[in-house]
Amino acid sequence: MTDSALATNPAPVAAAAAPKLVVRDLHFYYNGFHALKGISMDIPEKQVTAIIGPSGCGKSTLLRVFNRIYAIYPKLEAKGSIELDGANILDPGYSLNRLRSKVGMVFQKPVPFPMTIFENVAYGIRHHEKLSKTDMEGRVEQALRSAALWDEVKDKLKQNALGLSGGQQQRLCIARAIALRPEVLLLDEPTSALDPIATSRIEQLVEELKSQFTIVMVTHNMQQAARVSDLTAFMYLGELIEFDQTEKIFTKPGKKQTEDYITGRFG
Amino acid sequence: MNTGTDHIIKSYDSELARLTGEIVRMGELSVTQLEAAIDVLERRDERAAQRVVGNDDAIDQLEQEIGHDVVRLLALRAPMAGDLRNVYAALRIASDIERIGDYAANVAKRSIPLSMVAPVAPVGGLHQLAKLAAAEVRQVLAAYRDRDAERAYQVWKDDVVLDEAYTGYFRQLLTYMMEDPRNITPCTHLLFMAKNIERIGDHATNIAENVWFQVTGEPLDKQRSKRDLTSSPETTKLGE
Repeated sequence: MTDSALATNPAPVAAAAAPKLVVRDLHFYYNGFHALKGISMDIPEKQVTAIIGPSGCGKSTLLRVFNRIYAIYPKLEAKGSIELDGANILDPGYSLNRLRSKVGMVFQKPVPFPMTIFENVAYGIRHHEKLSKTDMEGRVEQALRSAALWDEVKDKLKQNALGLSGGQQQRLCIARAIALRPEVLLLDEPTSALDPIATSRIEQLVEELKSQFTIVMVTHNMQQAARVSDLTAFMYLGELIEFDQTEKIFTKPGKKQTEDYITGRFG
Repeated sequence: MNTGTDHIIKSYDSELARLTGEIVRMGELSVTQLEAAIDVLERRDERAAQRVVGNDDAIDQLEQEIGHDVVRLLALRAPMAGDLRNVYAALRIASDIERIGDYAANVAKRSIPLSMVAPVAPVGGLHQLAKLAAAEVRQVLAAYRDRDAERAYQVWKDDVVLDEAYTGYFRQLLTYMMEDPRNITPCTHLLFMAKNIERIGDHATNIAENVWFQVTGEPLDKQRSKRDLTSSPETTKLGE
């Protein structure tokens, strides 16, 4: 090696784990507006991948493409490919029903259905499977337990879900999503409407859930990305600027734009 | 990485700049202390030596202030990436400078008993060592101030010159002591002082490592060739 130790080896990119979602040259257009510009990334299985970036960078759009939620609107178009276990989910032949049972989503604002706590979780299951009353009760309990909500609601399953606190409602939404036993869980700013204690509970939950699910989370809170994710993707103006191990992104990012964003220097 | 762009929150920039300023000031104080220690040794000025020893408090005080500022920055700003490395390096560098100050004060302290015995010839050699060490600390402080990793690396590499000078001086003192037992007391003091100065160089290389890490995000972990051979049996055999 020369005297100059400045020449360092490039760090390995992304995770060693097997990819669950393989995104290749993904473009997305809203009525002609080019919102995602050639995104390529491998999202590893049973890890937490955080997507950060300023408002309008395309991070929520990317998340929504992962379960084709855009399909309900006309004039929206995705190009490229997203392979989930090897099958391209953007292929029109890939059924939405199949996709939604594999990819669950939780939104920024908790939106429980105006029905009982039990029905909120059972509703989606009924849509996909026919279960006996006992089996259904078992499934609902299991989902509520996984979402760390069971102990708080087990005595009031017949009460309206709208009576729960914001944090409980969000965990109910997570229970509702995982009740379908998806493989991928998409979380779109899941704690931005919650107080710090409810936020910590969700973060703890994410840590527990990653042993069962591949989690992709969009967050505005960089500390949250640092706390809970294994990998972090930084997006800006529809492009994926940097995608690497979270520890690396937050201690030694490779790109100036990433550094400027996470250190609060973005103009 | 120093991206050269200001933070959106301006006070964050001024707090980080203040931290850098404190480190540089603390470092300059430590070099001044080393130079003053050699000066009082040469002038055989006991009272001035006491003053140098007392001045070490100012360096300790600065280290405490830096520690306080670092904890505050970590708690209130939650620094990330280059900012985090900046704050982390400041804490570590402050602790190295504090040690440099201690060594300089030790040199001044030992000049007091030395001034009470007849002057011995090898005192001049200590001056040479101190000059090398002071230059090393100044270089590494400049590297810190300018976020200059290459310059820090140069200091880290060049410490070997001080190590070699120390080994040579060690041999010289041994010879003096063997020549005349009356030299043993002053030369033992000089030996300790020389070791203190050699250690100052080691702390300068620690600072260089932290500057390197701060700028590049990588550890500076290359094996440095060690030229302080005073613990080797070969060196102590000399003169026999």
